[in-house]
Amino acid sequence: MSNKLPLKGIRVINFGWVWAGPVVGQTLGFLGAEVLKIESRARVDMTRNLPPFAEGIAGPDRSLSNHACWAGNGSVTIDLKHAEGRDLALRLIAESDVVIENFGPGVMERLGFGYETLRAVREDIVLFSMPAAGLYGPLEHVRTYGLSLTSLTGLDSLVGYKGGPPIPVENAYSDPFAGIFGAFAILTALHNRRRTGQGQHIDFSQQEAVMQMVGPAYMDYLFNGRSGAPKGNEHPSAAMAPHGVFPCRGDDRWVAIAVASDAEWTALIEIMDRPDWACDPALATTAGRLQAIGQIHAAIGAWTCDFEAHALAERLQHAGVAATPVLRVSDLLDDPHYRARGTFIEVTHPLGFRETIYGPYVKMSRTPAMVRPGPAMGQDNDHAFLEILKLPAAEYQRLKDSRVIY
Amino acid sequence: MNDSKQPQGTGALAGLLVLDFGQGVSAPHCARLFADYGADVIKIEPRHGDAARSSGPYPGDQPHTERSGLFFFHNTNKRGVTCDVSQPAGRSLFMDLVRRADVLIENNLPAQMREWGIDYPTLAAINPNLVMISITPFGQTGPYSEWHGQDLNAYHLSGASARYCGRPGEMPLEHGTFSADYFGSVAAAAWGLAAVMGRDLVGGGQQVDVSCAEAIAAAFVGGQNIGGLAQDGRWDSRTGVGMPLGAPATILPCKDGHVWMLALEPGQWKGLCKVMGDPEWASLEMFDDMYTRAQNADLIYGLMSDWLMAHGKMEIMEKCQAAGCPVTAVFTIEEAARHRHLQARDYFVDIEHPELGRLHCLGAPFKLPASPGGPHAPAPLLGEHNREVFEGLLGKTAAEVEHLGAIGAI
Repeated sequence: MSNKLPLKGIRVINFGWVWAGPVVGQTLGFLGAEVLKIESRARVDMTRNLPPFAEGIAGPDRSLSNHACWAGNGSVTIDLKHAEGRDLALRLIAESDVVIENFGPGVMERLGFGYETLRAVREDIVLFSMPAAGLYGPLEHVRTYGLSLTSLTGLDSLVGYKGGPPIPVENAYSDPFAGIFGAFAILTALHNRRRTGQGQHIDFSQQEAVMQMVGPAYMDYLFNGRSGAPKGNEHPSAAMAPHGVFPCRGDDRWVAIAVASDAEWTALIEIMDRPDWACDPALATTAGRLQAIGQIHAAIGAWTCDFEAHALAERLQHAGVAATPVLRVSDLLDDPHYRARGTFIEVTHPLGFRETIYGPYVKMSRTPAMVRPGPAMGQDNDHAFLEILKLPAAEYQRLKDSRVIY
Repeated sequence: MNDSKQPQGTGALAGLLVLDFGQGVSAPHCARLFADYGADVIKIEPRHGDAARSSGPYPGDQPHTERSGLFFFHNTNKRGVTCDVSQPAGRSLFMDLVRRADVLIENNLPAQMREWGIDYPTLAAINPNLVMISITPFGQTGPYSEWHGQDLNAYHLSGASARYCGRPGEMPLEHGTFSADYFGSVAAAAWGLAAVMGRDLVGGGQQVDVSCAEAIAAAFVGGQNIGGLAQDGRWDSRTGVGMPLGAPATILPCKDGHVWMLALEPGQWKGLCKVMGDPEWASLEMFDDMYTRAQNADLIYGLMSDWLMAHGKMEIMEKCQAAGCPVTAVFTIEEAARHRHLQARDYFVDIEHPELGRLHCLGAPFKLPASPGGPHAPAPLLGEHNREVFEGLLGKTAAEVEHLGAIGAI
């Protein structure tokens, strides 16, 4: 096993805020890049003040969800309203490979960090911008939150109970999705830079990246003029039946069952003890089962409700049927699979308290990911200003006293 | 082995040879991302084809191996070969491809890969520089690693549905698409490409083990919930209303569809009130801030409904946005496909396919100005590039390739 990580030597300056931007940095950080998030006590990111807090004590360095989502990003505090602060940030960029931002279009220019300015200090810089709907176009300045951004892609129109209205997904799926996707975009640009020596300004429209998720529904529109609608848990391309979520014993307990083949269907009806279904030629094919899906689902639901979800899933799996318990948040820490894979881990925050965050959700056989806790504000200031920029100690102190470094 | 430092072609990932030994959505989508940005991607299908070929959407709902929209979408820009790895000759051909490859992307059950004799230790022995990206619902290790699973199973095992998707008391919902497969494939592309770029630094290739369920459980559900659960035992379930702590923050019906109604900050609420014509009820004290509005959300949503039902979603979006309020229309697929913004950004590309004709496709997922990407060539027909790849890349003779076909290896 190597003690080096794949992105060792890559330095990233991250202006990203809230969720999506920090996740871009986090992804590169897991893989060995040195990521320095630029933030300031002059305008604390709203997610630093989200409860619950470590040990129940409120404070911008104690938000547990913020730490999980920002883990792996270092933190350098600079007040960018000061000209000297902007200059310090530019000097750090000159020593870096990548700059990340998730403001609206034009904000980086107004802050003094437009692509041309960055190129002037670092010719081959990769600037990664991830505005809601891209850097140009009629919706350039559209205002969204992560949880509503998906509405601009068509995806929200597909989520809901069959025959019913769209139901809002209650958190911003697009934020971590676009964040991780953004890391891929940056790596393609770095690969290109390695080939050609050339940097570039990546225009990553979250709308366009997330809209790739509706590709299958888009193809149906293209072929058949259909626009798609909520269909509960039925298969997105109507290629499997049964395909659903069914009630089990207990409060809000469910099992998810997907039958992809005739053999799995045979296994399912054997366990359910439904010889009548086995004898029905209309149900022997996926096409026939799709025709009768409502009736099949109702019968499966009447059968599953006597079972405990996990035990039933195991029993179905044993027979080769794809089935899983539907986990609640409360199940995640105790689930034997996630425990075995170290999905969630306890770390010590730089301020000394213990907290649980998610670890590397991708496992690398040669280079296990590096896990660092969520950053305390300014924890990397000494490194950034004394080691990277080599500021004289007195100058560093002056900048701190005058709240440029703040 | 291709040398990634030698420019070949113009895409950012030109010079990389990638094998796609996946079916369905997760692995093929991951491989498509490599193909979009210039890697040479060879798709290896079993003789009867990727299972996605047996899935719609099809034109006119007529099933046809070469006309699946699901297959087309995830396999553009790739060359396609067939290979039956369960036969010695097929397996040997597969090994010949692996020897030359930078990346292998697959989504088979770990036990299946072992049975075929093409698990990571075996492949690493013949190509130590290979990055093998394995994307499965549950991953390569852990008690569920041999479980069968579809996108549905992975998504519901992540906690995402029970927490965020559906009404309380009713079944938790899938996300309307292959949500877990997409999340896993994007994570796999990011981590996998890093592994490729770091090979010289870390001393060779490696296996990148992606569980679609775990990626969502960690980076989406875990990020927001795990700290509170571990420390305080605190957790929440879905409410069905969008954002319970503030209002308005939900999807509401209007004259011609639905809008994502969001007005949380004071300026946003003021903007919305102005657009609604400053109705008298909106000035009541109980609607002063987002928290008190949330306590009275049902009341507010009722009071807004006359105005909403009198206006179209695009008009509501336009006026609210102009007033500083982040309301968006819930686009249907058709509305997204036809939106002038996406047209103005050239998000769509035309691709000609021998069976499907000219298609107006979704284009690149992101714009790289210095090394443009995106789909430009159609998905391959089944076995379309058998001769080109086996003769051109592997140096087989025409007679050898014919023989491989005759014995059913390809």
